[in-house]
Amino acid sequence: MHCQNFRPSSLTRREMLNQSACGFGAVALSALLAENSSAEKADYNPTDPLAPKKPHYAPKAKNVIFLYMDGGPSHVDTFDYKPLLKKFNGQDPRQAIGKLEPTQFDNIGKVMQSPWAFKQHGESGAWVSDLFPNIAKVADDLTFIKSMTSKFPEHTAANYFLHSGSGLQGRPSMGAWVGYGLGTENQNLPGFVVLNGGLIPPGGLDNFNSGYLPAAYQGSVFNPGNTPVANIKPAESSPALQRRKLDLMRQLDLSSKERFAGEEQIESAILNYETAFRMQAAVPDLLDLSGESDTVKKMYGLDSDFNQTKTFGRQCLLARRLVERGVRFIELTCPGGNGDRWDQHNNLLDGHNKNCKTVDQPIAALITDLKKLGILEETLVIWTGEFGRTPFAQGGNGRDHNPFGFTTWLAGGGVKPGVSYGATDEWGYKAIENKVEIHDLHATMLHLLGIDHTKSTFRFSSRDMRLTDVHGHIIKDILA
Amino acid sequence: MATFAKSLLISLIFISGIQLSPGAQKFTPKNVEFFEKKIRPVLVEHCYKCHSADSKKLKASLYLDTRAGFLKGGDTGPAIIPGDPEKSLLIEVIRYTDTDMEMPPKSKLPDTVIANFETWVKAGAAWPEEEASKAERIADAFDLAKRKSEHWSWKPLAPAPRADGFIDYLIGEKLKEAKLRPAPHSEPVTLLRRLTFDLTGLPPTVEEIERFEKDVATDLELTIASTVDRLLNSPHFGERWGRHWLDLMRYAESHGHEFDYPIHNAHHYRDYVIRAFNADVPYDQFVAEHIAGDLLPEPRLHPENQTNESIIATGFWYLGEATHSPTDVRGDEAIRIDNMIDTFSKSFLGLSVACARCHDHKFDAISTEDYYALTGYLQSTRRNEHKHDLGKKIARGIEEIEKLAANGNQNLKDSGTQVTPPANAPEGLLLPTNSNWFPSGHAFGDSSIPALTWIPVKNSITEHAVYDSGRYGEKLHGVLRTPTFTINGDRVHLYVKGTAKVRLTIDGHFMQVFNGLLFSGTLKDIKTGDKWQWVTLNSKDIAQKSGQKAYLEIIDSGPGAIEVKAVCTTRDLPKIEETLPANSDAKNPEKQIAGKLKDLSKAARKISDAIPNPSATILSVTDGTPENDYVHIRGSHKNLGKEVPRRFLTALGGDAIAPPENASGRLELAEQVVSRKNPLTARVAANRIWHHLFGRGIVPTVDDFGPMGIVPSNPKLLDSLAASLIEGKWSQKNLIRQIVLSKTYRQSATPHTDLSLSYLADTDPENILLHKAPVRRLQAEAIRDSMLAISGRLDPKLYGNSVPVYLNSFMQGRGRPKSGPLDGAGRRSIYTSIRRNFLPPMMLAFDMPSPFSSVARRTISNVPAQALTLMNDPFVVSESKRWADSTANIKDSKTRIKTMFLQASARRPSPEQMKTTLAWIESHPSQKTAWQDFAHSVWNTKEFIFLN
Repeated sequence: MHCQNFRPSSLTRREMLNQSACGFGAVALSALLAENSSAEKADYNPTDPLAPKKPHYAPKAKNVIFLYMDGGPSHVDTFDYKPLLKKFNGQDPRQAIGKLEPTQFDNIGKVMQSPWAFKQHGESGAWVSDLFPNIAKVADDLTFIKSMTSKFPEHTAANYFLHSGSGLQGRPSMGAWVGYGLGTENQNLPGFVVLNGGLIPPGGLDNFNSGYLPAAYQGSVFNPGNTPVANIKPAESSPALQRRKLDLMRQLDLSSKERFAGEEQIESAILNYETAFRMQAAVPDLLDLSGESDTVKKMYGLDSDFNQTKTFGRQCLLARRLVERGVRFIELTCPGGNGDRWDQHNNLLDGHNKNCKTVDQPIAALITDLKKLGILEETLVIWTGEFGRTPFAQGGNGRDHNPFGFTTWLAGGGVKPGVSYGATDEWGYKAIENKVEIHDLHATMLHLLGIDHTKSTFRFSSRDMRLTDVHGHIIKDILA
Repeated sequence: MATFAKSLLISLIFISGIQLSPGAQKFTPKNVEFFEKKIRPVLVEHCYKCHSADSKKLKASLYLDTRAGFLKGGDTGPAIIPGDPEKSLLIEVIRYTDTDMEMPPKSKLPDTVIANFETWVKAGAAWPEEEASKAERIADAFDLAKRKSEHWSWKPLAPAPRADGFIDYLIGEKLKEAKLRPAPHSEPVTLLRRLTFDLTGLPPTVEEIERFEKDVATDLELTIASTVDRLLNSPHFGERWGRHWLDLMRYAESHGHEFDYPIHNAHHYRDYVIRAFNADVPYDQFVAEHIAGDLLPEPRLHPENQTNESIIATGFWYLGEATHSPTDVRGDEAIRIDNMIDTFSKSFLGLSVACARCHDHKFDAISTEDYYALTGYLQSTRRNEHKHDLGKKIARGIEEIEKLAANGNQNLKDSGTQVTPPANAPEGLLLPTNSNWFPSGHAFGDSSIPALTWIPVKNSITEHAVYDSGRYGEKLHGVLRTPTFTINGDRVHLYVKGTAKVRLTIDGHFMQVFNGLLFSGTLKDIKTGDKWQWVTLNSKDIAQKSGQKAYLEIIDSGPGAIEVKAVCTTRDLPKIEETLPANSDAKNPEKQIAGKLKDLSKAARKISDAIPNPSATILSVTDGTPENDYVHIRGSHKNLGKEVPRRFLTALGGDAIAPPENASGRLELAEQVVSRKNPLTARVAANRIWHHLFGRGIVPTVDDFGPMGIVPSNPKLLDSLAASLIEGKWSQKNLIRQIVLSKTYRQSATPHTDLSLSYLADTDPENILLHKAPVRRLQAEAIRDSMLAISGRLDPKLYGNSVPVYLNSFMQGRGRPKSGPLDGAGRRSIYTSIRRNFLPPMMLAFDMPSPFSSVARRTISNVPAQALTLMNDPFVVSESKRWADSTANIKDSKTRIKTMFLQASARRPSPEQMKTTLAWIESHPSQKTAWQDFAHSVWNTKEFIFLN
């Protein structure tokens, strides 16, 4: 007898079960029914944690692409135009601005004007500096939050805070929370994918972990290259050999079935092999860009003479392909080679030129492409660093960390395009109008996905834990 | 005019600080009008959502809807000082000058509005005559005694049966109630596999299986009992149960965060735990050692080395995360202490005390004051690196030298030397004679050396009271810690002679050894030769921490020695000779005793030369200056409330045993934790053992016995087990033996045939009542260790340095260590190094917890990533080849298949399985790899990773 299982088809779970000719279709079907009934409640189902779950209310967005600008881009050099810096350029900020908060490195230099010119763009008249010529062209599709704040002036804690709502290590990342809340549409790919450009942010892989949530929700880090995740490439020299081995496994499993009668966990474990087998095929299929037209590849910058643009362009294109495949949460980290990420304590000019060149064309292409394909409206794109930078210099030619006010932008699923919300003071130093916290960003993101951030909880340490802890307000003014 | 005069009078009264009683004021209609027009609307629009009687949730206990509310203020004190806007907190926060408190929180008010508030406050904060306060403010609902009386777990252990068979009797009662029947005994060999995994985390070997089957044929009961004893006595028992314990202790060997700096010597703690489980150290002793092993009057000694075993346990306090550059070091300390309290309370008490950090516990009988009563113990405790004294040789040498010292000093005293006592020291000058210092290790001895004391090894006489790390020779190690003081400017000075390292530890921050960012100048090498001189630690970073608490550590890690006479915490140095006048007798020992001292000195030096170096460095703790903590209002260390004396939880006896003077009080805390008056410690421990043997606790929320946890499924059984643990002298092995020999544990995983599946699905679908043995997936470590054991690669060596974790190309990030071997050198998983930022993916896939916080109950997931691991992980693939190779000497295919089945699942293949497998091997396209492919397939079967 030969089974039709472990075939590299992209059958749905139900189709696969119906086709199963080995008699344990019934077993699996009961698991499937259990999965459907558990979809009613947002609880954790240990035998099928990633099964799609109903949101709390109708979502505006189905997927998130999180463009993580690791290191802290300077808002006053990119999107937050402050003419006053020119006027006071070179003066002592303690005189000009007044009392300053302690900075990470406490090496306060002079007020520093932006080395880049700002212009207004599009119908919305958004201010964008010359660093982002391509993003400027899609400015009307973006929603700027100019009053973002963080609680931490130091990378690691700020990274954890941005990702998990807590400055401590080991808390679930927002992508894990999204998986926990919604499950995933595509059982053949992880629900939370991190497309690693080469730089894992300070704080390490724990930025993408599931913390106290079950391990099934942790981010899968996809490295550049043809084997993006561990253990996805079959250990066998040929698919036929692997199939043969799995067939033996299944026969042995079947013959010991009566010993485990009624054990749903065994049935699920058996089913996992079907999924795992298909995942092996789904990942190479995802990475195979041969079906993309040259125009598209060029648009994303895959032919760029700047290597980092090529890398990030590929990440952006993969992000689109992941969205098309129903992956819920996709995070992009920055490519290496541009100095110390966006963290320009010195050499602001060179560092930001390179970092912007890396991401500008690919991000503009991503927005344009998603829009053209009609999926921008159900995809929430978020661009942010963990904090901004000071309007005054650190030492001579760099800027220090500034968590008191910086810029984040969103696009797509459920946010008002062409809008600017909140403001920093006239220096770009502190948010003073409609201050937004990271918790608010999280609450808004979950809201757009159809999740009530106060209701998506997980019992740990005797508390019903939330991504937003006890904080978070939906930023209603930017909702479409 | 009269009105004007009156209002002027009122302003004057306010400005001079005299206040009329609230409500008695009359304000001018003009000022009231100003309030109604310019102030009240702003309050209504921007403040009342959080600060009025109508607020859904009142913030900061602050009401801004009555004038009295402004005057009384909230958690941070009065909101306004009428007449003085510059001193009024409200004005400060609306000006947005302090990022920690900006109001309204979302947007700054327009400057004109802020100016109006200033005017209003300046003019005395006019308010119309108030109606009777409409705010019938709800009194604090927290009632600790009531909560305690209402929740089961605080109650004393109920008298419950403990006669032989009590477990089956109490389980049987519940089954009967539900009209269920226990399952029959499982097959003996199934039980053998269950027992071997549960007690040692390894599979039974083929020899063990065959032996067992033979013995069972003669005497089933005796064989099972002796097998249980064999497994409990196996050294692998400690590795299995030690790993359970390490989950609770969030055990790791690095600090995580940006660079994942190592926690040096953490593995000694891991070894301590394994040894303690193997030696069946009574659980109350084990807990006491964790809390205060450094303070036990008679520490437990390592059976062979005679080194202090108890002190190693205290390292658990410091196994948490740590960051190298906290911008707010006191805040960072509060976070670290919170993690310690959390680990302590969940592990030993099954309580979530850390929930009371910011407010009284929302549900349990634990107050915020309880929380800060506990943090005080840790404020009074310091991180310490203890050095082991192998065979007590150092202690013995010191004892002998001290005898010679006593002899010589008697001679000196008899010769009539006279001490000039120190003058009153100026403020900030700390001397061994005017403050309490803390020597640890051997070099400095137990105390300072008084003035005019003869030191035999040096044959010299002290001029003033001094701490001297050379008093027993130059190779010993020791750390001298000063009392806690407040940093006062940019520098701290020490008056010293010799060679050592000095570290300024600010608010407990110890990470500057890895990275000096933000802590420059807090670490320094001292080298003064043989000159007494002032050495100064001085930096901008120290200045920035002015006002914060610190102490100095003078570290002599041998060779060399240092003498310390004083520490000065003020900027300007005093004239030391004014405080410490010369003692001329120090240089003039009477001639008649000089010869005698010389002889004694010679003898002392001989002993000193024979003292060996210490053998190992142990992460541990030691007492420092005793300090109480203060309530941190809403969890903020920048907002302190009342001082709370150190004491245990109110609901468990509180200050029944107070800390002694000049000690942290941890020893007394330990006494209260393991006291029989505390019902939680035994209940939590017994329940945890049950959890590890059945996969589910009687209280399934193993670390939460509070109202948010789940109530016990069988309260009588829980109390019986707890009482049994105590009565069995807290022997964990004893309790484990009782449980695994019960009929309940020995049941088959297949329910009784009388019970229909549908009845079971209705009555006990989750098997909570234990109508059968649970089916459980092997834990991460057991899966990997089994593969090593089966392939023959397992190196059964116990203890020692960790094997570096194998890093695949996906494990990237700052602080990436060097990769270890793929097979972990064949050692059991507990010996793979646990680096917080580089955790082994195979272990994580099978639910090994990330060690950031205490975990009593692992999640059990069942996901495709596990299948991918078993299918494709290079470790699994290479070990299956090794396994196949190790069976190549069995020429008969059937025997070989049978052996491999036995190894993997302690079961022989059914005839059908034998037929299938044989055919599969014979028809395999590549005969060269047929057996290893078969081996790999077997490891992917469910019978391998599940336990029935």
